[in-house]
Amino acid sequence: MSRIVWKALCWAILAIPGLGMIWQFSHNDMLAMDILHPSGEISIRLMILAMLAGPLSEFFGLNRFFRAWLAMRRNLGVAAFGYAILHLAFYFLDMPDVAAVLDELGIAGIWTGWLALALMIPPASISFDKAMQRLGRKWKMIQRLVYAALIISLVHWLLLDWDWWPAFIHLAPLMIAWGLRWSSARRKASLLRSI
Amino acid sequence: MHNKVYRLALAAIAGATLLTAAPAYADGNVQCKSGPVKNWKPIAKMKKKVWMEGWELLKLQVEGDCYEVYARNESGQSIEAFFHPVTLEKLLVYRRGSEIYRSPTFPK
Repeated sequence: MSRIVWKALCWAILAIPGLGMIWQFSHNDMLAMDILHPSGEISIRLMILAMLAGPLSEFFGLNRFFRAWLAMRRNLGVAAFGYAILHLAFYFLDMPDVAAVLDELGIAGIWTGWLALALMIPPASISFDKAMQRLGRKWKMIQRLVYAALIISLVHWLLLDWDWWPAFIHLAPLMIAWGLRWSSARRKASLLRSI
Repeated sequence: MHNKVYRLALAAIAGATLLTAAPAYADGNVQCKSGPVKNWKPIAKMKKKVWMEGWELLKLQVEGDCYEVYARNESGQSIEAFFHPVTLEKLLVYRRGSEIYRSPTFPK
């Protein structure tokens, strides 16, 4: 299968949950407020999925599976941003007017969401080949804003739900992957020292 | 230099979050200790209670052993409230995760 077909298939799969949400909302099966949680959660999950590929491939070594995952990483990141925008759209649909949105801005559970979204804008807006070539090393630096966006997204979730477990369970795989990468880097460094 | 700016920014965000989040408490595990369901007041009475509060009801559901209400108050603010299913007493009200009301009879 060609690269374009793979990419189209990947995007079709990524779009299914979002289309389902829009369908249910437009058919009055779900309220906008009911879609806030799942749209935000999918955004975070996709962000984590995009961030897991790097450390896991470093630990386990590059094979076909990790090569495919790494190739999809940017798509996953952009999809995470897409779901964050969908989350925002449903937030606006849930609110009576713009004044009510502005009135809530000072609440910690709300402004952390806005901040996380703002931090996702620069990495998402340069997630294409030409920007990567043009920005060089700066590209990776800008992409690192995703780490801050993820942590603040989880804080946003925590401040709204006040339940530690879901946020922690989502962060756990990433913490394990970072731990594995760190241990593998340490092992390599000690091997180099012993030579 | 960049790392320093990064760390400073993250510390500032963490500090600001803690400051503005100070009045909030956990709403994940609210327990009304309401006893058997057969003693609960019907949903219709709960709806009337919400109407008497002057709120616009968005959603009403049973959460654990409480009635949980999503509504808009007189000022148009989105709120989440917990009511005792037997007495229909308003126990807790949250606005986007921040506690804005707690009944004096409902201990922390």
